[in-house]
Amino acid sequence: MPEQPLESEGVIAGTGTGGAMDLATTEAETPAKRPPPAFGGGPGGGTESTGKPRSLWSDAWRDLRRNPVFIVSGLIILFLIVISLWPSAIASGSPLDCDLAKSQQGSAPGHPFGYDGQGCDVYTRTVYGARTSVAVGVCAMLGVAILGSVLGALAGFFGGPWDSILSRITDIFFAIPVILGGLVLLSVVTSNSIWPVIGFMVLLGWPQISRIARGSVITAKQNDYVQAARALGASNSRMLLRHITPNAVAPVIVVATIALGTYIALEATLSYLGVGLKPPSVSWGIDISAASPYIRNAPHALLWPSGALAITVLAFIMLGDAVRDALDPKLR
Amino acid sequence: MLLEVRDLHVEFRTRDGVAKAVNGVDYGVDEGETLAVLGESGSGKSVTAQAIMGILDMPPGRITGGEILFKGQDLLRLKEEERRKFRGAEMAMIFQDALSSLNPVLSVGDQLGEMFVVHRGMSRKDARARAVELMDRVRIPAAKERVRDYPHQFSGGMRQRIMIAMALALEPALIIADEPTTALDVTVQAQVMALLAELRRELNMGLILITHDLGVVADVADRIAVMYAGRIVESAPVHDIYKAPAHPYTRGLLDSIPRLDQKGQELYAIKGLPPNLMNIPPGCAFNPRCPMARDVCRTDAPPLYDVIPSDGTRVSACHFWTECLHG
Repeated sequence: MPEQPLESEGVIAGTGTGGAMDLATTEAETPAKRPPPAFGGGPGGGTESTGKPRSLWSDAWRDLRRNPVFIVSGLIILFLIVISLWPSAIASGSPLDCDLAKSQQGSAPGHPFGYDGQGCDVYTRTVYGARTSVAVGVCAMLGVAILGSVLGALAGFFGGPWDSILSRITDIFFAIPVILGGLVLLSVVTSNSIWPVIGFMVLLGWPQISRIARGSVITAKQNDYVQAARALGASNSRMLLRHITPNAVAPVIVVATIALGTYIALEATLSYLGVGLKPPSVSWGIDISAASPYIRNAPHALLWPSGALAITVLAFIMLGDAVRDALDPKLR
Repeated sequence: MLLEVRDLHVEFRTRDGVAKAVNGVDYGVDEGETLAVLGESGSGKSVTAQAIMGILDMPPGRITGGEILFKGQDLLRLKEEERRKFRGAEMAMIFQDALSSLNPVLSVGDQLGEMFVVHRGMSRKDARARAVELMDRVRIPAAKERVRDYPHQFSGGMRQRIMIAMALALEPALIIADEPTTALDVTVQAQVMALLAELRRELNMGLILITHDLGVVADVADRIAVMYAGRIVESAPVHDIYKAPAHPYTRGLLDSIPRLDQKGQELYAIKGLPPNLMNIPPGCAFNPRCPMARDVCRTDAPPLYDVIPSDGTRVSACHFWTECLHG
């Protein structure tokens, strides 16, 4: 490539067959004939650049920081993450340290939430329950998001028979009722770890994300810039990873965030039904289940874990909404 | 010949039937030559270009016949992986709408640099330096500062310059520009065309300019190929065609250019609509709209006649080309 700058020299010869054309070329000749420096200083030049470059993501982040919904939900989630990592920081006792003599007693000094039916400290159990809920929610969400978006993206990108097969499988999984499926599948599991529950959620949850990923990949694929990248020699994997994924990932993030909240609620539901986690695991669902028969005598034992669950789920749904608002330019 | 398209046929299989988008196109472009391909929407000009580039969506598209010879090699016989190496390095394409042709989440520097990363295996840093060079070359002011900017921060003309820079990055032998100035203001159009023509001359590339703007064509093209219903109906050096068209469709196109000296008069329009590609009329595809159509036009498809002076530079697909040329 020659190094010297090009001289603009009015290439337009203006053979001119019609008056309108002559007009167009005359108008254009003036700027085209200007030497390059004048070009650069011209009003059409660098005037559009406003401050530092912004992308979709930095724009979204700027929007989020100003959104009170994001700040509130973000703080709640941050708090949840901290207490799931270090529950002993705010709860000194053990959740399994119970004294039947104190069964269903109300709040006492050092035990602000009172005691449940087994005489365990409700405050400590609620704090430790967050760890299970967050662990189940995050792991299930990650599993669902990875499996669902990879399968969905491949189906959307390659289309054809792969797409048809995957879409039918998706339909089949959609047809499985979650609670019934959980009762049937998880009732045969004897392990008391969180993994069977997470596995079940991933198994039933991925089609939701895969559908969304498929749809947004198909939309992104039709963009001219993907065609342009192809015309300039990009390979399939490069088009998918560099041009399509960054433009298709926003809806997946939004749905996955909201889904995280619902997975936490689903864990509680399954535990309540006795097919999720089982004692001695500590989980809000188990506590809600254990406290529900005594709702008249000891409502506090039900209230605190349910309240924690409700706030957590709400926080993730609010976060998902805030992220959606920030990532969807049409709502701006 | 740098590129030669011979008897190319492309069809699209849709739910409603088979749309014959390209029905035996022949054209060629030499190094350093500009071929303008003219035609209405749906005449097959873009589909032909996509077939040349190998970016036709297949399915539903299908190339049912013909050859595309690039430097003597038939591209249609190559494997996809081999063809991909041609794209960008040997032939590149510039699209109509530069805003939608640039990835909104990547900075222009990244997108320009990608050409060098993909095809030349350069490091990101070197690629970025080359990106700045390219932006300078297409005269984007303050290239060094703007290389980190995103496409939406540029004006329409500047964006099209960036597209041109991307296409020219690896100095391909052939550039296909698909209506490169349609989305721009008239003054910017002229600047962009001038830039394209200049770089074409400097790098001695073949340029296929797809357009429906006859004004643009007159200024920059060496030859014109007029397409109708997926066929070339007339192909000739640019001055010959403007002086005396040898096909009634070309004549119609030229007559429908607005002229300043006809202010107040009604603008000529070719009557009727382009044919439905699923149901192209028998005989000459233009016959239902042609003012000169006779019985033979409704039954026999015209071959490409050699037009005077019969030196092979000029062809017309009209049974009555002599009449058209002199009338």
